[in-house]
Amino acid sequence: MSGSIAAELLVLRKRRSMWILLGIWTVLATFFSYLLPYVEYRNGDIGARDPDQTPLEQLLPESLAGHLSVGFPFFGGVFALMLGVLALGSEYGWGTLRTVFVQRPGRLRVFAAKLVALGVVLVPFVLSVFAVGAVASYAIAWAEGVEANWPSAWDIGRALVADWLILAVWAALGIALGVLSRGTALAIGVGILYALVVEGLVSAFAGEIGLLEPLVELFLRANAYSLVESVGASTADVENNGPGSFSGPWVGGEQAVVALLGYIAVFLLLSGLLLRRRDVT
Amino acid sequence: MTSGLTRAASEAEAAERSRGRDDRDSAGAPFVIETRELGKRYGDAIVAVDRLTMRVRRGEVYGFLGPNGAGKTTTLRMLLGLIRPTRGAALVVGAPPGAPEGLARIGALVETPAFYPFLSGFDNLGVLARHADVPAKRIHAVLEELELTARAGDRFGTYSLGMKQRLGVAAALLKDPELLILDEPTNGMDAAGMAEMRIFIRSLGRSGRTVLLSSHLMNEVEQVCDRIGVIHKGRLVGEGTVDELRGRASLRVRAEPLEVAERVAAVAPGAEQVAIVDDGLVISAGPGAAAAINRALVEAGVAVSELRLEQASLEQVFLELTQKGEEA
Repeated sequence: MSGSIAAELLVLRKRRSMWILLGIWTVLATFFSYLLPYVEYRNGDIGARDPDQTPLEQLLPESLAGHLSVGFPFFGGVFALMLGVLALGSEYGWGTLRTVFVQRPGRLRVFAAKLVALGVVLVPFVLSVFAVGAVASYAIAWAEGVEANWPSAWDIGRALVADWLILAVWAALGIALGVLSRGTALAIGVGILYALVVEGLVSAFAGEIGLLEPLVELFLRANAYSLVESVGASTADVENNGPGSFSGPWVGGEQAVVALLGYIAVFLLLSGLLLRRRDVT
Repeated sequence: MTSGLTRAASEAEAAERSRGRDDRDSAGAPFVIETRELGKRYGDAIVAVDRLTMRVRRGEVYGFLGPNGAGKTTTLRMLLGLIRPTRGAALVVGAPPGAPEGLARIGALVETPAFYPFLSGFDNLGVLARHADVPAKRIHAVLEELELTARAGDRFGTYSLGMKQRLGVAAALLKDPELLILDEPTNGMDAAGMAEMRIFIRSLGRSGRTVLLSSHLMNEVEQVCDRIGVIHKGRLVGEGTVDELRGRASLRVRAEPLEVAERVAAVAPGAEQVAIVDDGLVISAGPGAAAAINRALVEAGVAVSELRLEQASLEQVFLELTQKGEEA
């Protein structure tokens, strides 16, 4: 098994698109989490307490864990979705599944190795954003002449794990879509459509149509945002999160973890089953 | 200059001489590949492979000959466990298709070589070696054997079709397998490359490996294979050695006087049947009997103006078999 994991890590490590996605995600996360809100803050009327404005405290190191986590349930999720699709869906296009499947390991061992490798690749997707975010928040504190107070290691650790879990759910969805469609284009399209339209629109109507609320509580978006809220994200930040905004219903942190793990189990079970049973042409 | 492939072929022949040959596989089974009524159907309308029963012996190069769309690749995929048969059964190196214990002893190139385009040839083999638990030194060995060492560091996407084929064969050899399944391995190669590859494949058989070579090229199969199975519309329509498939050769003789020639030929050594056809004799006999028959005729005072060997070409046999398959 370790050989197969090493093989899959080699494939992902040498794949340029992985590094490109990591770079874009890190730059965008920093831009939307710190640069843009800071410019907005600097240009705004601080005394007016505009609810759309991000208060300075959100941009300081003490809010690092919660503030950065807001970007993971939707924006980070889309990147993880693409990673998942690319990790499996591309193999159909290149025909490499049949090359790998005629080596010694069984199909499920190859699949398991791919999952482990992808899980490892998601780690820098969390760490890079936190590292650059830390630098940005420190720079803002320095520029504003405010003392930089860092969150505790426990708070940061919890946020890192929660954010990794959220990316893992989206990556698992990407894997499932990639295997289902045996390709990349349709899988990415359907995945983004689901994230934006299905979950986004239904969530937006949930406030007006009470019947939808139990359904929305099961959504990936509701559980992911509830999880980041439980690790320090402000609900105001979440409600003001562009196309990924969410205003409830909220669930408890533990329930969110269970729901997200359930999503991962369902997506991976479906993918593994299809991969094992279907013909590889 | 001796090329790597030719050198490898010579080494393989030397290994054969030192080892001798065995008709049983390492598990003691007489056949390396054995299928029984194997079939693959897509829906109600498409029968890709129809009740295929074939046996490949250890150490032979078995040619799987058939036109495009005959079901060759589908059969190979079933043997490798890539697709599930809808009927019948198969054993490959003593294991069901796709079983890890079997795959560990099989090297395969199925259809076009499929590798990660962004990885180098070396890294692509590295990925497969890691999956198969093969030591890294085997990568260097197979790259050398297939003359790819100089381009091993280049991305696979930059390789020519011929180089891609050679990398595919290198990947198939990575596990030092006892069975090689090669699907159109000379596809896209230039004439010299094809000739070298054929010698190389021939040598693999002589070194004790079993090779199942799928091809639509008759001369390739004729040059390389010990036995041939002809597949058409998913059915095995003929099987045997090249000579068996081509049938008994006959001698065509023009001689005077014809009646005397007929009497003499009838009792000449090696002649089986003699008939007068179109002012000449047609004698059923092997190529080895030609000289003896000629001598007997000349010694009997018969003037021989022409004596030639006639045998159906593999192409004629193939067309005949596929025609029959069509009618059936």
